[in-house]
Amino acid sequence: MLTSELRNNVLVVRVAEKRVDASKAPAFKDEMTQCIESGQSQLVLDLSNVDFVDSSGLGAIVACLKQLGPRGNLAIAGAKGAVSRLFTLTRMDKVFALHDTVDSAVEKLSS
Amino acid sequence: MKIRHILLLLTTFLGVALLVAVSFQIRSQLLELDTAQRMAASNAVREQLLLGAAALAEERSRTYVFLIGSSGEGRGLDELMSARQRVDALLKAAGEEIGSKRGDLRAPANSLASLDRIDRDLAALRKRADEHLAAVRQGQGQDVAQRWFREATHVVEELHSSRLTLLQQERPQEPALRAEATIRLYGGIISESIARNQALMTGALSRSEKTANHELREISRNAGRAGLAWDLVQSQLTTPLSETVKAAVASSFAHYDGTFAPLQETNLTALLSGVNPALGPEEWYSVAQRSLLTIADMQQRLLDSSRERLEAQLAQAWQSVVLWAALLLGGIAAVFASVFMVRMRVVQPLEGLSSAMLRLADNDLSTPLPRLGRKDEIGGMSDALRVFKANALRRQREQNDRQALHARLEDAYRLLRNDLEAAAVIQKTMLPAASTLGLVQHRGLFRPSSLIAGDTYNVVQHRDGRIGFFQIDVAGHGAAAALVSVASHHTLSQAILTEEDARLDEIAARINREWPEDLPYFTMILGRIDVRDRRLTIVQAGHPSPLLVRRNGLVEVLGDGGFPVGMTHRAMYETLETDFNSGDRLLVYSDGLVEAENAAGEQFSEPRLLQFVREQAKSPTPIILDGLDQALRKWRGSETLADDVSILMLERLSERTVDAHL
Repeated sequence: MLTSELRNNVLVVRVAEKRVDASKAPAFKDEMTQCIESGQSQLVLDLSNVDFVDSSGLGAIVACLKQLGPRGNLAIAGAKGAVSRLFTLTRMDKVFALHDTVDSAVEKLSS
Repeated sequence: MKIRHILLLLTTFLGVALLVAVSFQIRSQLLELDTAQRMAASNAVREQLLLGAAALAEERSRTYVFLIGSSGEGRGLDELMSARQRVDALLKAAGEEIGSKRGDLRAPANSLASLDRIDRDLAALRKRADEHLAAVRQGQGQDVAQRWFREATHVVEELHSSRLTLLQQERPQEPALRAEATIRLYGGIISESIARNQALMTGALSRSEKTANHELREISRNAGRAGLAWDLVQSQLTTPLSETVKAAVASSFAHYDGTFAPLQETNLTALLSGVNPALGPEEWYSVAQRSLLTIADMQQRLLDSSRERLEAQLAQAWQSVVLWAALLLGGIAAVFASVFMVRMRVVQPLEGLSSAMLRLADNDLSTPLPRLGRKDEIGGMSDALRVFKANALRRQREQNDRQALHARLEDAYRLLRNDLEAAAVIQKTMLPAASTLGLVQHRGLFRPSSLIAGDTYNVVQHRDGRIGFFQIDVAGHGAAAALVSVASHHTLSQAILTEEDARLDEIAARINREWPEDLPYFTMILGRIDVRDRRLTIVQAGHPSPLLVRRNGLVEVLGDGGFPVGMTHRAMYETLETDFNSGDRLLVYSDGLVEAENAAGEQFSEPRLLQFVREQAKSPTPIILDGLDQALRKWRGSETLADDVSILMLERLSERTVDAHL
């Protein structure tokens, strides 16, 4: 469900699914864990394709952030609509760096 | 039609065709055998008749000579008697031959009848001749002799005619046989002509007076007939005949042509011209006798040759019949053998396999399979069937295992479900029933997506009359979320009751700090209603913003978010305060309500909820909750939910209303 590419030493992980909900969250977390365990600490999660994230999905994303630890960074790019509102509602906009585009997120992380 | 029938029918058809062909051949061989037997029988009878005719001719000559008194007193009587005996013996032999070959002859009765007649005639003739011989002395029987000769000749002709009738009935087809029969026929004519002239010429020579002309003409005719017959015999010699026969014909002809015919010619010429011939009657008689002997010898050779040929034909016919009969028996044996082989090697194994297959197809896996132990196609089929059965047995075993596993799973599921149902009952009892606590009336709607939910809520009254309440939505749903919801329900209820004076944001922060990291987080609205001050305080922890329905019908959205509990220890919480006058109502809901999707995947959404609540802002609480429940079901298009839905409504009653109630 994830595709990733390395840009300026930043791993951009794109979520191909439209939804990250209770049924997808375990797979999402597994694949993200693989990306993190491969040694990448600067990650951008591209959610521009995602229409809906539920509480389980949000839990999985936060778990990834915790797994990255204090030296890592996980930026969110392209969150919109219900996804963006969920981040605001749960104050995750204060925990994650939110960017409108992947480019700006990569630029911010690589600088 | 079954294969058994097709194969057996084909084999039988082929067998019958073979047998019919062979039978036709045997029939024609039997016909040939029959022909050969009839030819042989006819030939055997004719042989006796021919010899009998020759013997009778001799008897005629000797009697004639006696009657005309040419022979000396008493002389030649022995020869006459022995000639008679020979005639009798031969005629008797002919009769016996006819009797024994009765089955192979066409008209044995006719032949026997004519033989009887000949016997009678001959007996009468002999009797008369004997009377004359006794009564009339020699030299006085000219007329009697002539008459004897005529009548005896008639009997000889009768014999010849019997013989010819038989020959007509069975004409040989084979050229050599036919030629031999023809030569015998002419030989008989020659023999008869010579015999007649033997007698007549002897009579003429022994008379002193001139012989009558008609008698001489008779002699001349006989001589001519013999000559003509010899010419005809010569014409038959072009046919390939055996050397013995040719030699006999040649020697006989040599005697006739070299000795007999010239003498006969000389005598006849002398008699015609009235001159006494040089040759005496006795010399003539013996010359003629010698010629007759050569002819008899020739005839005997011819008869022997014909008999041998016929016997060879008969033997060959028998051989053919036996050969074809053996073939017929062999054919019958081959037909039965092939029917047997087809039955044993093809039909029975096929039927065994077929019935085994049908039983296997009926799922009768206990059916025993035929053990053929063969390397051919049928053996291959049998082996394949064995493999098929083994596979089917394995499949059945696996299916049984699966069914057993399925039954165990079903048991486990039933136990689990019983547990969950019990848990659901317990969970429901934890929820407060709709009631009025002081001046606050509350009512909830609780719809888990499965038996137990991650949602929960509670409303409690402080000792000082304030009302504390919360609604919780644990991340995820199902059993894990339900257990966590029970834990959080307990934690929150305890906190409200034990920390009456603590600020709500502090309570939330404490619980957030103490929340175990490996448990799922939850969102909540934690609130407090101060009835006296008519104030409402809430903490929004990641939960959807509650709606405040004012008494006048205005609907406000309270708050814009906050950290969920248990997600991050750095979380900070804020309290939010607003007026809560009598008639004001607070609607707290979990995200399952606004995130409920219809068949097209569209969410019920906050705007639709707001619109609904605005439209129903003046309706009583139960009407609003029932209306929302109905709207949700209608939106979903079914009774099922993807996430738990819970709604809690709290209303500040006016003092008057409560008094009225009291």
